[in-house]
Amino acid sequence: MTDNKKFTTSRRRFLQGLGAASVVSQVPAFGRTFPLAEAAPTIIRAKGQKSIVCIFLRGAADGLNMIVPYGDSSYEGHRPTMAMDLDDGLIKLDSTFALHPALAPLEPLYKNKRFAPIICAGSIHGTRSHFDAQDWMEFAAPGNRTIREGWLNRYLTSTKTESSATFRAMAIQELLPRSLRGAFPVLAVPGNATNKKSGENLDIFERFYGDSGGMLEGGEMANRDRENDAAGVVESGRMTIETLRRFQEIVGKAPKKRDDNETVSGSAYSSSRFSKGLQQIAKVLKAGEGLEVAGIDYGGWDDHTGEGGVEGKMATRMSDFAQSLAAFCGDLGPDLDNTTIMVMTEFGRTVRENGNVGTDHGHGSTMFVIGGEVNGGKIHGDWTGLAKKDLYQGRDLAVTTDFRNVYHSVLTNHFGYKTPKEFFPDFRPSEIKSLY
Amino acid sequence: MKRPSTNSKLEPLSPREKIAHLFSRLAFGPRPGDVEKVLKTGISVWLDEQLQVKTSTNPDLRERLSEFDTIDLGVADCSEFITYNTGENATEEERKAARLLQRVPMSELMQAVALRAVLSERQASEVMVDFWRNHFNVSFTKGRQIFSQINDYEREVIRDNVWRDFPTMLSDAATHPAMLNYLDNHLSRSPPSKQELKEIERRTKRKTGSKTQAAEAVTLATQRGLNENYARELLELHTLGVDNYYSQDDVIAVANVLTGWTFDGGRKGSHEYKFDNSMHVEGDFRVLGKRIREDETGDNGQGRRLLDILGKHKGTSEFISMKMVRYLVSDVPAEELVNSVAKVYRKTEGDFTAMVREIVSSDAFYSRENYRSKFKTPYEFIISALRITAAEITSLRGLERYLKDMGQPIYHCDDPTGYYDVAEAWLDPGVMALRWQFARDLVGNKIKGVKVGDAFYQQVPTDASPRLWQHHLTKMVLPGGAGERTRAALTTVTTEYLEKTKTPDFYKAAPVLTGLLIGSPEFQQQ
Repeated sequence: MTDNKKFTTSRRRFLQGLGAASVVSQVPAFGRTFPLAEAAPTIIRAKGQKSIVCIFLRGAADGLNMIVPYGDSSYEGHRPTMAMDLDDGLIKLDSTFALHPALAPLEPLYKNKRFAPIICAGSIHGTRSHFDAQDWMEFAAPGNRTIREGWLNRYLTSTKTESSATFRAMAIQELLPRSLRGAFPVLAVPGNATNKKSGENLDIFERFYGDSGGMLEGGEMANRDRENDAAGVVESGRMTIETLRRFQEIVGKAPKKRDDNETVSGSAYSSSRFSKGLQQIAKVLKAGEGLEVAGIDYGGWDDHTGEGGVEGKMATRMSDFAQSLAAFCGDLGPDLDNTTIMVMTEFGRTVRENGNVGTDHGHGSTMFVIGGEVNGGKIHGDWTGLAKKDLYQGRDLAVTTDFRNVYHSVLTNHFGYKTPKEFFPDFRPSEIKSLY
Repeated sequence: MKRPSTNSKLEPLSPREKIAHLFSRLAFGPRPGDVEKVLKTGISVWLDEQLQVKTSTNPDLRERLSEFDTIDLGVADCSEFITYNTGENATEEERKAARLLQRVPMSELMQAVALRAVLSERQASEVMVDFWRNHFNVSFTKGRQIFSQINDYEREVIRDNVWRDFPTMLSDAATHPAMLNYLDNHLSRSPPSKQELKEIERRTKRKTGSKTQAAEAVTLATQRGLNENYARELLELHTLGVDNYYSQDDVIAVANVLTGWTFDGGRKGSHEYKFDNSMHVEGDFRVLGKRIREDETGDNGQGRRLLDILGKHKGTSEFISMKMVRYLVSDVPAEELVNSVAKVYRKTEGDFTAMVREIVSSDAFYSRENYRSKFKTPYEFIISALRITAAEITSLRGLERYLKDMGQPIYHCDDPTGYYDVAEAWLDPGVMALRWQFARDLVGNKIKGVKVGDAFYQQVPTDASPRLWQHHLTKMVLPGGAGERTRAALTTVTTEYLEKTKTPDFYKAAPVLTGLLIGSPEFQQQ
């Protein structure tokens, strides 16, 4: 990591807490304890499993190149080579904003009022470090280095009950997005760890990692075992076995009636990792086995050079992103009504293009919220304009919607989860009224 | 085997544990017999040998490395090596061959890196090379131009400097085409002057004969300017640590100071670093509270002065020491040790040998608290498994897939942070599944180009009983000792095996047991 204050406590402390029967009553946290249990969260869970799919665009995606402010009088002046207008194929959303042509696959979702872009969204913290900004967005605690637990994991932990499904969250990639890290066991699986051979491995290694009774008679040895597991390996292995078994069960049950690449809407997944990951997530969601949260990353948005306008590195990436996302929504079919898809990035980029048809690290960007219940088909958030005097520090897009308010609104409206006071450290969230 | 008492965290490490610990931190794990050897000679002999600058590459490794065409090439030669002009009428096959040729340096370097880590007897060097490779990360994912630059970078910036000092490595990184390219500094420049714009207009018009195109070229050119990418990471990742001592104004000032730091990348260019004064933003700049004056000779003196300030900065000494302690000792670096290493940094101007020595000779390094407290990264896990099993390696290509699946392919870290070295970054539920698969594939000789064979198994007395096989193999793979759970699990496996078979076969049982040991919790720790 990037600084000397990070990682001040090991994962172990988290993982150790998991052995206890009631996790809720003693949520251990990195650095400090979240008093979530005392806050007694109120859950009004509706029938029909609700789910969140959280997509993180890593590298700071240029929101101005996604939801393009073609109607802003200063736009072209800031971006003499990159700016686009309606003649270039921009898809008009209103008199100020248009969708980048590469995002065309998302247009039907917008028209059907299921796609809500939020402009000038992001973190009010001024950092332009990717790594801090990502951490802080995923831990939902800007500027706070003691919180090391993801916001979605906090949700999972504080709503855990004896009877809740064991497989509530997952990520289809080697490592978990930070939003999902924490006390609640969440499986991270790369696509190929799900084959039959890996099932065999689970049986073989269970003796070395699992809580198989015979060897651990009495609490003493179990405790000692933990004490010797300074790096937290045994706990992680045990969680791997439990969650991967469950995952294989679910995927094994998934119906295989359709051609793998075909979806209801007819739009197809691409061959990118992101696309394949979404396809796996759709499989599990459709199996209806209680998956509530899925996380997935899309990397490479740090467009210092060659970002471009209609064409360019970013357009190519957006095109795959939009195609995959549209395929995913089509694949979900009616299940989209019970799903909220969130798209976010750590910060935006400079309003003015730099010397290399690219942009440097900026401030405000754009967030997407997509789903059946979402009040889409209109632009959300307050637009401050691109005149130099209105820019953050005279160079970047301002932030008028704190990302935590978006989290809060999604959790409240979609999950019926009222975030307890401590959920966002040192921040009192307010609901974005029109989002749902 | 004597076991540490389980209720005392304060009990000092046994001599055997100490050596196992040293090998797991200042080496990619021991090879068979290493721990026993050092038990006889003593730790200081091994350490002195390792920290000596002048020992040369062992002959067996040198011979293996001689198979590669590109790892010793400079950037210009490497660029020439991979350039193959197919011409307009080339067949699809020719084009494909040309594309493959471009990737030869990458493939060779990835193999050479792993081969050195496995086979080199200079393990402390290899471990520290890996540290600096991640600290000053560059990546093949940047694209074609960097394919010919990283081999030279690894050799000249990282490897050659591994026992020199921080300011030297910093300066060499800052002037290497791979770094300038990776973080876009080669493009960062002052806006072009009127004269330059006129020249661009004139040239475009002559080339295209079109006035409109010439005007467009001018519009494009006026947009060229500052790129903050390298300036920011230089402060955040290479020297001071994030938001430590510096502000956004410093980032912009540093970017200005470093304009003109580029390389001669044209087709007929030297491919070397150059300072291009015409790209440089003229003027004095204030960085970290200090005014850095413009170089009056029209050379890169201003940037040099900046690097000098950064290399001597207290923040740099602290940040580098913290990272080194975190890498070699504990995910949670003890402040006291970090401070004492930072003091050594300031006294010796960032001398690497002195800093590493300060760490590995400290009491904290050998404390029970730090024993097996770090989780091996995927790379460390794979390399240490190949070393401990004395795997015969004919090709490392088969291993690339495993590293990729586990998220750590060599020189492919997109983020300038480099790969993280702490458990928090790697220990997610799910990752163990891949390690277990690797362990089984390795001992099953299912990885192409890699074989675990007699070099390993012959060390077990074959006339021993199956129970003794288990004992010997455990001691070989886990020289630092196995915990109760692991020993109990192995005993169960052996018992079941003996129940099923009347004629125990060593060559059937031993690979199974070895695979289990490599997949065991103890082997994931270091």
